[in-house]
Amino acid sequence: MAARRALKAVLVDLSGTLHIEDAAVPGAQEALKRLRATSVMVRFVTNTTKESKQDLLERLKKLEFDISEDEIFTSLTAARNLVEQQQVRPMLLVDDRALPDFKGIQTSDPNAVVIGLAPEHFHYQILNQAFRLLLDGAPLIAIHKARYYKRKDGLALGPGPFVTALEYATDTKATVVGKPEKTFFLEALRGTGCEPEETVMIGDDCRDDVGGAQNAGMRGILVKTGKYRAADEDKINPAPYLTCESFPHAVDHILQHLL
Amino acid sequence: MAAWSERLAGVRGVLLDISGVLYDGGEGGGAAIAGSVEAVARLKRSRLKVRFCTNESQKSRADLVGLLRRLGFDVSEGEVTAPAPAACLILKQRGLRPHLLVHDGVRSEFDQIDTSNPNCVVIADAGEDFSYRNMNKAFQVLMELENPVLFSLGKGRYYKETSGLMLDVGPYMKALEYACGIEAEVVGKPSPEFFKSALQEMGVEAHEAIMIGDDIVGDVGGAQQYGMRALQVRTGKFR
Repeated sequence: MAARRALKAVLVDLSGTLHIEDAAVPGAQEALKRLRATSVMVRFVTNTTKESKQDLLERLKKLEFDISEDEIFTSLTAARNLVEQQQVRPMLLVDDRALPDFKGIQTSDPNAVVIGLAPEHFHYQILNQAFRLLLDGAPLIAIHKARYYKRKDGLALGPGPFVTALEYATDTKATVVGKPEKTFFLEALRGTGCEPEETVMIGDDCRDDVGGAQNAGMRGILVKTGKYRAADEDKINPAPYLTCESFPHAVDHILQHLL
Repeated sequence: MAAWSERLAGVRGVLLDISGVLYDGGEGGGAAIAGSVEAVARLKRSRLKVRFCTNESQKSRADLVGLLRRLGFDVSEGEVTAPAPAACLILKQRGLRPHLLVHDGVRSEFDQIDTSNPNCVVIADAGEDFSYRNMNKAFQVLMELENPVLFSLGKGRYYKETSGLMLDVGPYMKALEYACGIEAEVVGKPSPEFFKSALQEMGVEAHEAIMIGDDIVGDVGGAQQYGMRALQVRTGKFR
């Protein structure tokens, strides 16, 4: 068997992996310290569309995780990077709480549309404005295409259906930047000097975290916390590199076998 | 290419699309497209049979015809094939009770339909009534059903109003299809049943009919698929 490349970077999902709502996964803070004692680069990755990096950082600091803002990479960051790369001025259909992550980006006289989970923007007038921009050739950037999410009053439409609506109306395809897109994982490594083959992703969502990462050339460790359900590991092909109990167990494995 | 007289040989009936061919909707009802009022009059003076075949689903037939007559068109309700009445027939035939995601302007077309305890969803061009809340309600109804059935009155991508291009029912139909993982049944152009009923009402066979429309897929493509001839106009939504 060919020798594997040395491990140089670890990507860690947040919600469901490091913490569940406002409680840390038991032993996670300590496990993170042990990981940091090695030479690997660590990045924290998430598909949020309504929490700015500041919000995430505050929550993690409260739970006593040792994390800095520039180690956090979200789907909002990915969208911002793409907007900057393409040098466009976006119409931002995102939650107000996500706006800080777009600070400094020109939004007047828009020639692009960025769409996240923002029910307050998904009414006819605004979508029609976005539609007319797209018909004129503006690119459509989607934070992710979730079909729906859980609210107190039941299920609620996610951004996916509205992205699909605009794609159909304009006969174009959105560029989706969040997990499980390959570009999300590659972008997360930007600035680390590490390759996908030298990276491990740890997450609780088999398809979006592990499947997505492995599709980008990384190794994926599925943890049985958060949204994990029995036999999730059978749902992707190839199977996860490893399925284990929780983040601390994943770190143990890395320290024992991959370094 | 053969001469026009050859290409139009045997045409006995004309199906006319309304929005984008006769008029553009909008503020104050909208505006007739230049020359269309007279053109309809000329058609009616000829030996050709004339019928109006529309996917209009924001207004009732009565309101639509009233508006067109105010603009000077010679048209009556009995000459219009529209999707809401067609949908009502289907609902009755299949014993279905709809949750209606429609504009208030067309609700009267469903007066004879039982909408209590819905077991399906009907989506039409709801326009401003396509709020997140209304879309979400329709989505929740579908997700609760063991056998989710969604009817869409047409599937057009957009249409032209005097202020510019407007999202039609199609994108919203796709949104619900994607959210629920289902496929909608389309009532209206370009569904074959719709053309069939329009031709039956007109008393003309497909090969003897020609459709005039602004929507290359819904009007022209659909008509030709059904065996009619079709003319594409460069008004309305044409780009």
